[in-house]
Amino acid sequence: MSGLERHQTDLLILGSGGAGLLAALHAHDKDPSLEITIAVKGLLGKSGCTRMVQGGYNVALAPGDSLQRHFMDTIEGGKWLNHQELAWRLVEGAVERIVELENRWGCFFDRNPDGRLHFKAFAGQTVDRTVHKGDLTGIEIINRLAEQVWARGIKRMEEHRAIALIPSRDGQRLSGVLMLDIRTGEFRFVAAKAVLLATGGGPTMYLYHTPSGDKSCDGLAMALRAGLKLRDMEMVQFHPTGLIAGKDTRITGTIIEEGLRGAGGHILDGSGERFMHKYDPRNERATRDIVSRGMYDQMKAGRTGPNGGVFITMKHLDPAMVRKQFKGMVTRCADVGFDLVSGNVEVVPTAHYMMGGVEYALDCRTSLPGLFAAGEDTGGVHGANRLGGNGVANSTVYGGIAGEAMAAFAKSDGGIVAPDEAAIEAAVADTMRPFSRKSGDLNALRERLYKLMWDDVGIIRSEESLKRGEKALDDLAAELAETGLPQTTRAFNLTWADWLSLDSLILTSRAIAAAALRRDDSRGAHYRSDFPETGSLEKSENTVVTLEGNRIAVTTTPVAFTRVRPGQTLA
Amino acid sequence: MAEFTLPQNSKITEGKTHKAPEGTKRVTKFRIYRWDPDSGANPRLDTFEIDRDQCAPMVLDALIKIKTEIDSTLTFRRSCREGICGSCSMNIDGTNTLACLKPIDEVKGTVDIYPLPHMPVIKDLVPDLSVPYAQYTSIQPWLQTESPPPPDSERRQSPEERAKLDGLWECVLCFCCSTSCPSYWWNGDRYLGPAILLQAYRWIADSRDEATGERLDALEDPFRLYRCHTIMNCTRTCPKSLNPAKAIAEIKKLMVARR
Repeated sequence: MSGLERHQTDLLILGSGGAGLLAALHAHDKDPSLEITIAVKGLLGKSGCTRMVQGGYNVALAPGDSLQRHFMDTIEGGKWLNHQELAWRLVEGAVERIVELENRWGCFFDRNPDGRLHFKAFAGQTVDRTVHKGDLTGIEIINRLAEQVWARGIKRMEEHRAIALIPSRDGQRLSGVLMLDIRTGEFRFVAAKAVLLATGGGPTMYLYHTPSGDKSCDGLAMALRAGLKLRDMEMVQFHPTGLIAGKDTRITGTIIEEGLRGAGGHILDGSGERFMHKYDPRNERATRDIVSRGMYDQMKAGRTGPNGGVFITMKHLDPAMVRKQFKGMVTRCADVGFDLVSGNVEVVPTAHYMMGGVEYALDCRTSLPGLFAAGEDTGGVHGANRLGGNGVANSTVYGGIAGEAMAAFAKSDGGIVAPDEAAIEAAVADTMRPFSRKSGDLNALRERLYKLMWDDVGIIRSEESLKRGEKALDDLAAELAETGLPQTTRAFNLTWADWLSLDSLILTSRAIAAAALRRDDSRGAHYRSDFPETGSLEKSENTVVTLEGNRIAVTTTPVAFTRVRPGQTLA
Repeated sequence: MAEFTLPQNSKITEGKTHKAPEGTKRVTKFRIYRWDPDSGANPRLDTFEIDRDQCAPMVLDALIKIKTEIDSTLTFRRSCREGICGSCSMNIDGTNTLACLKPIDEVKGTVDIYPLPHMPVIKDLVPDLSVPYAQYTSIQPWLQTESPPPPDSERRQSPEERAKLDGLWECVLCFCCSTSCPSYWWNGDRYLGPAILLQAYRWIADSRDEATGERLDALEDPFRLYRCHTIMNCTRTCPKSLNPAKAIAEIKKLMVARR
């Protein structure tokens, strides 16, 4: 394609969260002569979800803890759907990485009086193992990593959006990535010896969601279009306590942390009554999936507060403790007019994390040579449910592993190869499509997506609801394809960005719905009202989704119990 | 004769007005700075009348509402919407702050919104922050040590040492403070400004860091540090309630103490 700006770099990293930044640092460590480029939709260090991490980082370092216990908690939490080798590498890698984050990259986490790391309690743990910085851990990790990246002359392509993974002319490997420079609206093709997909998932297709507004599942959509397999896509985690402050505010959906329930917080229906005892003997301290379903059930029955949610309250607890231990959360609630210390705070279950994603190997390779993946774009580590504190561990552990593997790959079998020009042209044409269509109401399409995913592909699903959801998603995709933009300027055109985000979100939503329809049991984050039983753990299967033409195909594959079988334990 | 007015192409003109529908009860006017690099036209101020009964509480909510419902060409940065990423910093009602944390009700009358002052504008409310980021890199904001860390273990830090970093590590690099500082407006090419100096002190104050001397040496300069004239706009404007002026004062004290 003529008129297209072309660039080359040794390693191209898509995303600047924990996975992307650690990949860059490890690759640079391994081979400082490599030219490394990080591309990110926003500004480096400000985008993505690692920065927004509140709770912390799970690592088996506390006295009495062990890799085996952390592993077993992760497998039990994941309802035996995890890729066990990936989960083992996670718990092993977390120990190396937390020390590295402290000693090499300059992070520091909260300490005990003896000067050693402090571990706090999170749900689903048999030992307290969550390292943290107050209740806002992500800022520390991302600021320190970003500084290290700046210190190394690693190249940055900020405000650049990845559009498509472009194969080589013979289709045998990846050639590079088609990018859109948001500031100018021009396309750039970046050829690279190896590319990392680390854009983060982020289920922002639901009415209530926690990830930042930037998140749009571009990585998963690009992977599907490039022919990669996605596993366990039906597994979308809903966090029980998202703030709800009215329908129009974007702060709605943002989390207040799990520790509030851990510390004894009560959840109340619209009339002020506790209800979690009807669902689980652990009451409010049950796991995220159970509490979310209980709340959703109450909301469906109409027992809600003024904004359609239920309430969390800490007012029966010591106000001084709440103020001290949850300083960040008290401030956040106050920002939207709620009093966390002595009042009721309206909350709603909120879409938080995608356990599913690209299938990948222990060294982060994917089935497309030259393409690596790490972090929330991948599936396998968490199985059917992610434990709080395992998310940032996942992105930083596997980000580092990917960086080293990419550096080695660039040296041994990586080279710059010519791209499939037809694929570039097709991707440019798809991206330019809305400029040749009549301007339409993108916001109405987005609102419809939010609602249909929440109602039909959300916390409680059935064959009937999922089929309705699939049909609605197909209709939305067809309508979006014929919807245009109100302005022709390409520079910093945020409406164009919205169009592209919706395109990725709808495709990823179709993958979620198809996988959810295929899984005819209930476990972890996935609950089918028509199949409420967990099913046989021994015969557990993973779902695998691919894009065939314009059709989503789903198959299943038995879980490989490579380290431990249901009923056994390592700990 | 010295010219005291803005250059011709920087003069702000009156833009479009988008009226609220007839019969709207609670209306707030937003006057927003607009500039499109491709049009060649001067910057302008557009007025948007918003029905407050249909709008959530924060200024960012209003901006998103305007973009989705009235003028989808309105351009601004935003990411986390909860005061963590520092992307949506801008000048609202004469003060630099984060749009996601600024309640509309705190503004009396019309809400005036401009990009962060004294930064080049990319488009509308999006500033070019290349200079402050380059200055940030220049202070080498990373842990520097000579001694090796304990094998397979973290470097220890007592609660007292850790407490010294409170009020420093929470900075989200929104640059509200630096771009509110008159001294930084005049000498932004050579004075590091409050945001960067707060970060510099964060490393000087870290008990684990062993490059304190070098860090102070690098700041011993008439411009980099000493252009701070304790005007205090930085501390007044910080949307995270941090105190960059105090951090700068602590650095100056250390400079005196080591003479």
